[in-house]
Amino acid sequence: MQPAIEARQLRKTYTTTRGFFRRERVERVALRGVDLAIAPGELFGLLGPNGAGKTTMVKIFTTLLLPSSGMAMVLGLDAVKDQWQLRKRIGFVFGGERGLYWRLSGLDNLRYFADLYRIPPEVSRRRIPELLERLDLAGRERDRVELYSRGMKQRLHLARGLLNDPEVLFLDEPTIGLDPVGARELRLIVRELADAGKTVFLTTHYMFEADAICDRIAVIKDGGIVAEGSPSSIKTVVQDQGVVEFEVVGMPVDRLAGLRSLPGVRSVTISEHELAQVVTVHCARPADVMTQLGVILDGVKMQKVSSREPTLEDAYVQLIGESQ
Amino acid sequence: MRSLARAAFSAFRVSVRLRFISPWSYLNWLVFPVMFAAVGLYVLSRPGAASSHIVYGLLGGGLIGYWSVAYLDGGNGIQDERWSGTLEQIFATPTPLWVIVLGKICGGLLFGLLAFLPTAALAYFGFHAVLPGLDAGRFAISLGVLTLSFFCIALTLTPLFALWRWVFSMLNGFELGVYVLSGFMFPVAVLAPWAQGVAGALSPTWAVRALYASTLTEGPHDFAAWWLAAVGLSLAYLGGAYFLYALVGQRARISGQLALV
Repeated sequence: MQPAIEARQLRKTYTTTRGFFRRERVERVALRGVDLAIAPGELFGLLGPNGAGKTTMVKIFTTLLLPSSGMAMVLGLDAVKDQWQLRKRIGFVFGGERGLYWRLSGLDNLRYFADLYRIPPEVSRRRIPELLERLDLAGRERDRVELYSRGMKQRLHLARGLLNDPEVLFLDEPTIGLDPVGARELRLIVRELADAGKTVFLTTHYMFEADAICDRIAVIKDGGIVAEGSPSSIKTVVQDQGVVEFEVVGMPVDRLAGLRSLPGVRSVTISEHELAQVVTVHCARPADVMTQLGVILDGVKMQKVSSREPTLEDAYVQLIGESQ
Repeated sequence: MRSLARAAFSAFRVSVRLRFISPWSYLNWLVFPVMFAAVGLYVLSRPGAASSHIVYGLLGGGLIGYWSVAYLDGGNGIQDERWSGTLEQIFATPTPLWVIVLGKICGGLLFGLLAFLPTAALAYFGFHAVLPGLDAGRFAISLGVLTLSFFCIALTLTPLFALWRWVFSMLNGFELGVYVLSGFMFPVAVLAPWAQGVAGALSPTWAVRALYASTLTEGPHDFAAWWLAAVGLSLAYLGGAYFLYALVGQRARISGQLALV
C-alpha cells in the first residue's frame, strides 16, 4: 500500500547572512536525511523539543518550504513539483493565535479561505455550517475573531484546515496554549478525524497527548529521527527501568552528584515547583535507590517519596538525552 | 478560471472590508490627503502664484491619497499578512499569490479613489478652486491610465515585500519618492535633470502629466504619447512582475521568509 506521507532522505538547511560590512553566511541544518512513511488513515505524532525540525517538516509537506535534498511525497504527489494539485487535497493547522483575520468574523474568515481553496460555492455553503456546528462555533460565527477565546480561535483554525475536506491533515502543535479542557476537546476531534479515515500528522511537545491519541509516533532531535513506533513500543526504551520521585526543599548540588553515582541510576532531573523541588530519578532498581535516599539526603527536608512505572515522557527524556 | 476569479473577488472584498474597519486606513485616504491638499492649496492660491498651478493643490492631495492606498495595500498589505500569520496560510492555498494580490490591490484602488472626495471638497468650499479647462473625456482616460499604472506598480512591488523582509524598510521611501518624482503636487519640470530622467521611467509620471493637462487649456499637449508611455511602462512592469511572482514561488519556499520568524 502506498504511504499517505513519505519522506526519503529529507534534508533542509537554512542559509542566512550576518554582519553588516563583512557578510558571513550562516548555515543551520534543520533536517538531516529523515526517512518516514505514514500509512493512510494513520494518526502519526512527531515529538521533539523546540528547534528539532518538526515545523520544518510540516512546512515541507504542506508545500510552504522546499527541501534542500531528498524527497517529500504526500498522497503520491511530490510536495516540491506537484504543489498545486497537492494543496487542494491537504489541510494544515499551525498552533497559536495567528493565522486568522482578527477583524473579520469567523464566518468571513471561512468564506474567504473557502474561495482561496477554490471550493465551489454550493459546496462551501453546505460545508461551512457543518464545520461550525461540529467545532462548536455555531452561534458565534458572526462575531469578530478578536472576541474569540483562544480555544475558539484554535477550533476556527481547525475548521479552516478542514474546509477542503482534506485527505491528509497536518497539525503543528495545535493544542499549544490551550487550557486543559480546550486541549482535550481538540484532541477528541483530532481522534475522530483519524477514525473517520483521514491521515493526521501531528506535531506536539506533549507526551501524554501523543500517548493518548496517536497510533504511531516518532521522536525527532536535531533534525534526525531517534525513535519510531507505537507509543507502547517507544516506552520499551525504558521498560527495564523504574522512576523514583520525591520532593525536597533546598537540594544541595553535591547531593545530586551522590544520587547520580548510585548503581543503576540512569539520570537525575530536578524541576522547580512553587514550594519545593521535584527530583526524578530514572534507575534500574527503584527499591535500591529508595533505601539509599535517607543516607544521601541526610539533613535535607524530603517529602512525598514515590516509585512509579516509566511513562512515554520518561522514554522521551531518555531518547532526547541519549542523542545529545 | 471561474474559481480563480472568485478567489480574486473574495480577496478584493476582504481588502475593502479590512480597510473600512481599520482606523489606520482613514489616515491614508482622508487625513493625509486633506493635509497635503490644504498646504498645497494655501501656497498655490496666494497672490503671485500662477493661476494654472491651483490644479496641483486641487488634485495633488487626492493623488497622494490614491497612490498611498494603492501602494500600501500591496506592499504593506503583505507585511500585514506576515504579521498576522496569514501570509503562509494564503500562500499554501491552491490560488496563486498574484491572484490574491490582484484582488487586494483592486480593493485598495477603489478605496484610494475616495481620497479625491475630501480634497476636492476642501478645494471647492475652502479655496473656491475649480478645474478651469476640464476636458472630461481626456481626464477620465488619464485617470484610467493612472489607475492601470498604480495597479501595475503595486502588483510588481508586492512580491519584493513577500521575498525579502528588509524591503519593508524601503516602503515609505518609495512611497514618498513617487510623490515627488511623478509630479503629484508640482510639475516634473521643476526637478533636477537627473531626477527628471528617473521620473521618466515611472509610469505614473506620464499619466499624471496627462491628467493635469486635461484640466488646462494652455500649453502643448500630447495626450496619446503620454498615455502610451504610461501604458507601455505599466506593461513592462507586469513583465517584471511575472518573473518576480515565479521567484516568490521558489525563493520564499527556500528561505522561509513568508513566516514572521
